[in-house]
Amino acid sequence: MSDTKTLTSATPRTTPAPAPVRSRRSGSRRLEELTKVLFVVPAALAIVALFGYPVVKNVVMGFQDYGLKTFFTGQAPFVGLSNYLAVVSDDVFSKAVVNTALFTLGSIVGQFVIGMLLALFFHRSFPLNGVLRALFLLPWLLPLIVGSAAWRAILEQDSGILNVTLENLGVISTPVPWLTSPQVALVAIILVNVWLGIPFNLTLLYSGLQDIPDELYEAGALDGATGWKAFWSITWPNLRAVVSVVLMLGVIYTLKVLDIILGLTQGGPANATQTIALQSYQRSFVEFKFGQGAALSNILIVISLVFAVIYLRANRRQVDE
Amino acid sequence: MITKRLAAIAALATLAPLTLAACGGSTSGSAGGSSSATVDSLKVLDYYTDEPGKTQIGDMLTACGTSIGVPKIDREVVPGPTLIQKVLQQASSKSLPDVLMLDNPDIQQIADTGALAPLGDYGITADGYAPGPVAAATSGGKLYGLQPGANTIAIFYRKDVLAKAGVKPPTTWAELRTDAKKLTVGKQYGFAFNATADYEGAWQFLPPMWSNGGDETDLKSPQVAGALQLWKDLVDDGSASKSVVNWKQSDVNDQFIAGNAAMMLNGPWQEPALDKANVDYGVVPFPVDQAGQTSVAPLGGEAWTVPMTGDQARMSKAAELVRCMNSDANQLLRAKQGGLVPTKLALASQFKQEVPAMAGFTDAVAGARARTGKLGATWPDTAKIIYTGVQLVLTGQAAPADAMAKAGA
Amino acid sequence: MSAVTSKKHARGPVRTAIAIVLLAVLLFPVYWMVNISLQPSGNALSGTFFPTHPSLAGYASAIHDQGHNLVTSLLIAAGTVVLTLVVAAPCAYALAQFRFRWISWALLVILISQMIPGIVIANALYTAYERLGLLDSIPGLIIANSANAIPFGILIMRSFMLGVPPSIVEAARVDGAGLLRAFLSIVVPISRNSMITVGLFAFLFAWSDFIFALTLTTKGQVVPVTLGIYQYLGAHIANWSAVMATAVLASIPAIILLVVAQRYIAAGATGGAVK
Repeated sequence: MSDTKTLTSATPRTTPAPAPVRSRRSGSRRLEELTKVLFVVPAALAIVALFGYPVVKNVVMGFQDYGLKTFFTGQAPFVGLSNYLAVVSDDVFSKAVVNTALFTLGSIVGQFVIGMLLALFFHRSFPLNGVLRALFLLPWLLPLIVGSAAWRAILEQDSGILNVTLENLGVISTPVPWLTSPQVALVAIILVNVWLGIPFNLTLLYSGLQDIPDELYEAGALDGATGWKAFWSITWPNLRAVVSVVLMLGVIYTLKVLDIILGLTQGGPANATQTIALQSYQRSFVEFKFGQGAALSNILIVISLVFAVIYLRANRRQVDE
Repeated sequence: MITKRLAAIAALATLAPLTLAACGGSTSGSAGGSSSATVDSLKVLDYYTDEPGKTQIGDMLTACGTSIGVPKIDREVVPGPTLIQKVLQQASSKSLPDVLMLDNPDIQQIADTGALAPLGDYGITADGYAPGPVAAATSGGKLYGLQPGANTIAIFYRKDVLAKAGVKPPTTWAELRTDAKKLTVGKQYGFAFNATADYEGAWQFLPPMWSNGGDETDLKSPQVAGALQLWKDLVDDGSASKSVVNWKQSDVNDQFIAGNAAMMLNGPWQEPALDKANVDYGVVPFPVDQAGQTSVAPLGGEAWTVPMTGDQARMSKAAELVRCMNSDANQLLRAKQGGLVPTKLALASQFKQEVPAMAGFTDAVAGARARTGKLGATWPDTAKIIYTGVQLVLTGQAAPADAMAKAGA
Repeated sequence: MSAVTSKKHARGPVRTAIAIVLLAVLLFPVYWMVNISLQPSGNALSGTFFPTHPSLAGYASAIHDQGHNLVTSLLIAAGTVVLTLVVAAPCAYALAQFRFRWISWALLVILISQMIPGIVIANALYTAYERLGLLDSIPGLIIANSANAIPFGILIMRSFMLGVPPSIVEAARVDGAGLLRAFLSIVVPISRNSMITVGLFAFLFAWSDFIFALTLTTKGQVVPVTLGIYQYLGAHIANWSAVMATAVLASIPAIILLVVAQRYIAAGATGGAVK
């Protein structure tokens, strides 16, 4: 009823069209609901079809004695929690947990801060802005085996370019044992992972910055908010949604990092760069103890879930604002 | 309402992949127990991804196929570290190849799962083969693989550099230490080896360990500690770079070619690169610590096996292919192409005549020892302890006497 | 007046110079890759700082062997971009703007999908693909890579679409547009930045993917570049100059596409719409 009134008052010319209003209320309401769900269905099907089975299988495998034999005979006896007990009581586990925490923290802080600074830097227009920004994505274009080979060459203790440059600049007197010292190796892989993560952070944060309307800045400038003040009062609040998803995904992806550590140190020297993800891979695909490998990756998923829940709570507050 | 219905569809979608996976039987490959009358093609899986090896093996497979009446070879080639993964995927989807190439230390593990057919069933024996390849491929008294070519590691040295320094190639550990120290000049280290945290690091530790009388079944023995001490001394003396914990064998070779190492522990597969770079090198077996000990080196090389596909006709053709790949002619050809040594002892003298540069390696292979000879399928766990122990010693975190214990022995 | 404008003009090129320096530092490993690709004997670790005896042997091998693989990679990556955007964009919008009760749960499911190691997914897909006959096919790899990129795309685009004012869409609906048309004609143009960004990353995920390429191909007919370089990496020997040359050549078309795409991430896409 009220719809008809609004329509007629707003557009008097369309008075001879009450029919669309009637059908909108009954039939098209249902159609609208259906359409809304259809927006989601293809994605839902894709995710469930492609991720459903691996997740379920992984959880189940954590409780099974799944070895080489299982692939040929199909038998994987149920062993309850013994896989979890075995991996947690292993000497390397506590080291892997500490390393994972340090690696993730170091990587995220490094990638995010540098990515943010670079995004802000590129936020002004200057010649070749677009080209240079695209070139920053080059690290992601390289196959990881190429990237890690290049980094191994750079971090080589005796002749690697990093040590040579640092020595020539007088910053160090003896070569830094980047990949060969248990103490320094973790720093080295964090460095490489930060390098890998910068393009991701830069591109997403830059897009987020571009989405903030200029009018907000102009209005803010009138009130005297410029420079850092503008950043905190205008940029940061409007960027929050993008920042939280970038950090969230950053943590999840960093917890999973495997290839770069395999390529650079294989978890050594003497387990100095072991992480939970690497342990999971080695248990499964090097030692063929798939049940233990699955147990470790399940532990990793639980850790990720904690961060995911934090994100969702924060997100809910955002949406309600 | 509609949402609920669609949710139900989504739930069904979850079941779809599960049921697909749960359903037994596959469309491709073989059904159990059947026997096709004529075999027109054989599926082969190997890891010779790089040229020229890839084409050479391909040609040899095709030639063998033709000679046994199989016109087509369907070959799948995967990168080395991913071969076993591929095998496992194919096993679970019941699509194993007819002929499978396996690196020799993996044979017993795979055989123990029941996936491989004993070659004796097809009248194949390893009589006349060097003991190493036979031990590696035998499990429970049965032979599961036949290895046409083998290699091992030994000490390469730069003839010009040693001559200039007035140093002779080492025959004892003491000599190795003093030679390496003398040869460490400027950017050049005296000796380079690999001690990475993977099976390569364990493999490279076997010559000192075995030559000193150490055994993989008793890693806490003083002989093994002695071998660890040698590695430690070389690095502590400065004769070997601390980076050995990060250098793969290919990196060691690069260092040797670039003139950053006067001697290295490596294998004959590096010779094509060495020849291309015009390096004047010589090869000697790994030295021993005391008189009376024998230099023992680990066995390298891949074997051909016949997986249990259930199709009897194909399996017996596959066995014929394996036998053909191991014929005298093919062994000699493969050895010359790939820097290997034929595994049939009867071919040794002919091979030494035809390829004099490989004389030293030929003798070494005759006495080379299989990594899985004693431990069988449990070798990988021991290998992990070995390379961890080596790295603990080289990074100063443990003394040779208790490093292996610390590593989990 | 003129002093102010001239200062503004000077700032631009200064920024460019700083950007180039930053790029040079961050891209040093890429420089190293080019350096090695020009070295004669393929040493990855002990190459000289500058290729004093440049050799194009690596490039010769790369061009000769990898041309077809490059096209394969391009097709897979392009297909992934299209499929990812088509599937993820509507879902992202729905999760951003529609008031479903189960949005948090949906997001949780999507996040969980990102926590699974790639190798676990690849192994599971292998069995399914084998039954469905999707092995060794470009569509198969497109689907697999899209599966990886779609959850990511949903999460990213959603966080951008949270900022789309519902009033604009409502205005279109009042004018008689259906939900789908409103989405296509209003939301999509406004979300251009995030869609291009997600497209970029979908392209990069697919371009640099190795695990799906390895697992889901068996016959060596469909070979993306990441798998093709293993032609130069044997079990014991490595021809690094050919590997690096391939990587360099493979980067060029990708970089061109990325540069073109980045141009379109313009400022204030939502700016005018609110008025």
